[in-house]
Amino acid sequence: MDELRAALAIAKKDIRNVSRYRFSVASSIFTPLYQGVLPGLLFGASFAVGGKAVGLDKTIGTADLAGFIFMGGVISGLVATAFWAMAMSFRNEMEMGTLEPTWLTPTARETLVIGRALGGMFWFVFSTTAIFIVGVAFFGLRLRAEMLYAVPAILIAIVAMVGVAYLIAGVVLSIRDANLFVDCANFLFSVASGAAFPILLLPGVLQPIAYALPTTYAMDILRQQALGTRPLVDPAVEYLALIASTIVLIPIGLWAYRRADGRIRRLGTINQY
Amino acid sequence: MNLALAAGDLRALGAAGRMSFRTLRRYPANFVGQIFWPVMLPAVWVLMGQAYSGGGDREAIDAFAARSGTSGVTVFVFVGYAMYMWLSTLLWGPGTALRQEQIRGSLEAVFLTPVSRLVPLFGPTLTNIVWVLFQLLVMGLAVWLLFGVVLPLQGILLTLLVTFAGLPAMYAMGSLFGAAVLRFGEVGPAVQFVRGGLSLLCGITFPIVMLPAWAQTTSAAMPPTYIVAAIRDVLLKGATPLDLGPTAASLAVLAVAFGAVAIVLFRVLEASARRSGMFGRY
Repeated sequence: MDELRAALAIAKKDIRNVSRYRFSVASSIFTPLYQGVLPGLLFGASFAVGGKAVGLDKTIGTADLAGFIFMGGVISGLVATAFWAMAMSFRNEMEMGTLEPTWLTPTARETLVIGRALGGMFWFVFSTTAIFIVGVAFFGLRLRAEMLYAVPAILIAIVAMVGVAYLIAGVVLSIRDANLFVDCANFLFSVASGAAFPILLLPGVLQPIAYALPTTYAMDILRQQALGTRPLVDPAVEYLALIASTIVLIPIGLWAYRRADGRIRRLGTINQY
Repeated sequence: MNLALAAGDLRALGAAGRMSFRTLRRYPANFVGQIFWPVMLPAVWVLMGQAYSGGGDREAIDAFAARSGTSGVTVFVFVGYAMYMWLSTLLWGPGTALRQEQIRGSLEAVFLTPVSRLVPLFGPTLTNIVWVLFQLLVMGLAVWLLFGVVLPLQGILLTLLVTFAGLPAMYAMGSLFGAAVLRFGEVGPAVQFVRGGLSLLCGITFPIVMLPAWAQTTSAAMPPTYIVAAIRDVLLKGATPLDLGPTAASLAVLAVAFGAVAIVLFRVLEASARRSGMFGRY
């Protein structure tokens, strides 16, 4: 119960912190729109024949370009939340000098990630909702009620991403140039999940990595339900793979995080970056 | 006397360039990003192009060619992203140099020296060419090794020519941004916004004809539009040096225009700063 209170307190603190920077909040909505959605839509539309995305239809089984891009944005946003809000925030606390006092509290170290996950999820839901509203109003995005069938897959993927966040937080606590690492790793994770294009287009050597990521299956299930795209494999198998990869990722992430915790306490590097 | 002053300013400009080159060498980890992003960003967009074209569906590719003037999606995207990377290094580097000096507390000291104010305004741009050429090399190798596209030798040489012809206009634009950001204060959001806006306007990831008419008119006043179009012409359509004449003229006009506005803005800011003492504050 105490750990739950601590997690909620961390989430509340994170939500309050972000809400104080309104330009940042607005930027979290508009930056994906003008740097990702708009160029993606115009690039995709430049292949359209008679106003229809025939090429996309051939690739994934739907010509709904806006839906394809916006649904990809959901998984990109989820991955970014795990990498930046859950994991990279440890480095931000390091820089502010507040990580060491936090480490001295009796709260379990694992709870620190859970609290950040709750805070991050709040902003993820907020910005995704706002982006969808803008999408429906200005970019021809049509939301089908069937997309709600993908909610269980997204919830499982969120749990999986907490495991990934533990893993990345372990790395962030251990290396000096965390910003470059998180930036590059976040990008690759998102791409390998199929957020920008179907993973079948990845070079063969990278496809096994894509199939090992829980977000790949969450992405595919979401697009199937929301857009009616062709599934990568049987949807039941996708759910199984999603659950299995989540079960594997949590202990791996916890192991890496605890190891990093032990290392920084032994070496006294908690304030070094 | 004037000649002696000019020689002194030139020496100071050289020193400013050496200083920024030394700073660049002290952060070797930056090279990792300068290899990763110029390869990965365009590679992802090329694969997006494959998804949008149905893996090279004839109808879809013809539609793209009708709008962009080429069916070479890979080179089209890589050239666009070469400009994106140039904009990134320009805006994060020289574009924020004055602001960095302000944060470090060295801007006031620089302004107390007797050199021309143009030295701190244009000095940091000198080493930016190192990144630009490095990124062009990385991207040329990536387009060959990852996608099997061999660029024509004449096209490569003319790309370098276009790059050098575009330098003054790009640096003038960067200096204008640098002077403006000194007043605005928030560097990160300003870089994101300006880079995002220019990416949309200048045909970096999609053909300019996809934009509404007013945006196409605006893009004609931006140096990156001409550079990107000229490099695509030489690499994809075999344009000759003679064909590049109008582009060079447009870039020269824009260099003068942007440079003049940057100098005027900088002088206004400096006069204001002398009254308010804002150079030490941020």
